[in-house]
Amino acid sequence: MENKAKKITKKDLWKVFLNQMTIRGANNYERQQNAGFTQAMMPIIEKLYTDPEEKKAAYERHMEYFLTQDMVSAIPVGIAVAMEEKYATDPDMDPSSINAVKTALMGPLAGLGDSLLNGTARPILASLAISLVNANLGWVGPILFVLGMGFISIGIRYLGVFQGYAQGVKLVDKIQSSGLISKVTDIAAIAAYTIVGGFIPLLVYMNIPITITSGETVISIQETLNGLMPGVLGLAYTGLMYYLITKKKISAVKLIFVTMIVAIVGVYLGVLG
Amino acid sequence: MSLFMQALLVAIFVTVAFIDSHTVQTHIFRPIVVGPVVGAIMGDFQTGLSVGVIVELMFLAVIFVGTAVPPNPTISTAIATAVAILGGGGTELAVATALPISFIGQVAETVQNSVINVFFMHRVEKAAERMDTRGIVMNNTILPMSMNALLYGVPTFLAVYFGADYVAGIIQAIPDKIITGLTVGGGMVGAVGFALLLSSIKSRQMWPFMFLGFFFAAYLHINMIGIALLAVVFSAMYYYFKLAPEAKTN
Repeated sequence: MENKAKKITKKDLWKVFLNQMTIRGANNYERQQNAGFTQAMMPIIEKLYTDPEEKKAAYERHMEYFLTQDMVSAIPVGIAVAMEEKYATDPDMDPSSINAVKTALMGPLAGLGDSLLNGTARPILASLAISLVNANLGWVGPILFVLGMGFISIGIRYLGVFQGYAQGVKLVDKIQSSGLISKVTDIAAIAAYTIVGGFIPLLVYMNIPITITSGETVISIQETLNGLMPGVLGLAYTGLMYYLITKKKISAVKLIFVTMIVAIVGVYLGVLG
Repeated sequence: MSLFMQALLVAIFVTVAFIDSHTVQTHIFRPIVVGPVVGAIMGDFQTGLSVGVIVELMFLAVIFVGTAVPPNPTISTAIATAVAILGGGGTELAVATALPISFIGQVAETVQNSVINVFFMHRVEKAAERMDTRGIVMNNTILPMSMNALLYGVPTFLAVYFGADYVAGIIQAIPDKIITGLTVGGGMVGAVGFALLLSSIKSRQMWPFMFLGFFFAAYLHINMIGIALLAVVFSAMYYYFKLAPEAKTN
């Protein structure tokens, strides 16, 4: 009965925010971020449950499999805090709904976090830093990169815990019914496609040093290709890699190896250089 | 500064960078930061900066979705930078060293996830059964983070302190054509990263934007900042022309 008076305060949420930082502390192939999720929930479980059996059950709940992108995992953490608070005062609630909600959010959030943060924000900030380095500004680029990524990482975790708690299960409905994720995914896709397309001619270098001599004229294959479409070789090679990854299911690590071998053989044969 | 102190500082920085990558993620573990920091420690900031830029570009788009572990850019940038400065081989030597080391880092990280952290996770589970909060923090945070010193800090120290001559010797023994091949491959390997990133995109119907970006860069020679700004403009157009009117009618 004592449980009913327990309310989650701002201070508790700050503790959750700090502990959420360790979400991938013991990241493992058996159950992924489960230990991290448990540590994130620890301050809440300790506060809400005084009965040892209930407390143990709560810890067990969060030791189940959990995996999403590290930063956005703060959102299900915040929501789980709200649900645990509700369950502590309302024993009629089915506790398995807590894990059901967590599991429902894992997939969509992972896709969003990977494409928006690792696939878009990080390459943009890194390329900005590289441009600043190339402009001879020394430390400025790397420092801005760390400040930017730190702001993003800490900001998302803060918003995830505090907003996830404030909106609770409502947030799940909002995310699922309004198509919020698909809208954000669309925008992230536009940014990611534009960046990949724009960076290919700048970052994927291929050069064919073969020249064909016919009578008086020397034709360089590379110059002919550049005249038609600069960077077309890089684009074609990226397309081939894309085909092999998506259609032939060849792992990227294998393709990196193969690429290095192709390059070395190409140099020996004189077709690449 | 003595070589011992330099190797120690590089090892400490690598350990801290790995802890960052497993916790707060300010991204000091990226090559663009590791390169100049290690360069400054080794007494050649400029070389560190150039190695950082080159390796960052190699790994720019290498993101691995879900559970896969990517070749590790942190330890490879640190060792490659130190070796390039000590061996006097410049950035070409660094690039040739960086890629093989990144695979060693990947193996270490795979072992960490599949063996070491499984062990710690089960200890967290036991601590949770005892309702022992200190045990949870110890086994989810303190001990796994200390392992980073063992898995990445110690090898970095050994490689920098003892290995620079060996690595430089090995690299010098490799025929020039293979070194050239590795450099050429370093230029091509970005394609794998980009392809991987593309394969993770869910909204496939947005593919024309890839060609917009490509044509702007290829024909108009717009640099990376320009492309990033272009991406912002395209996203804003999509929002104002498609999403905002939709929200109004609903």
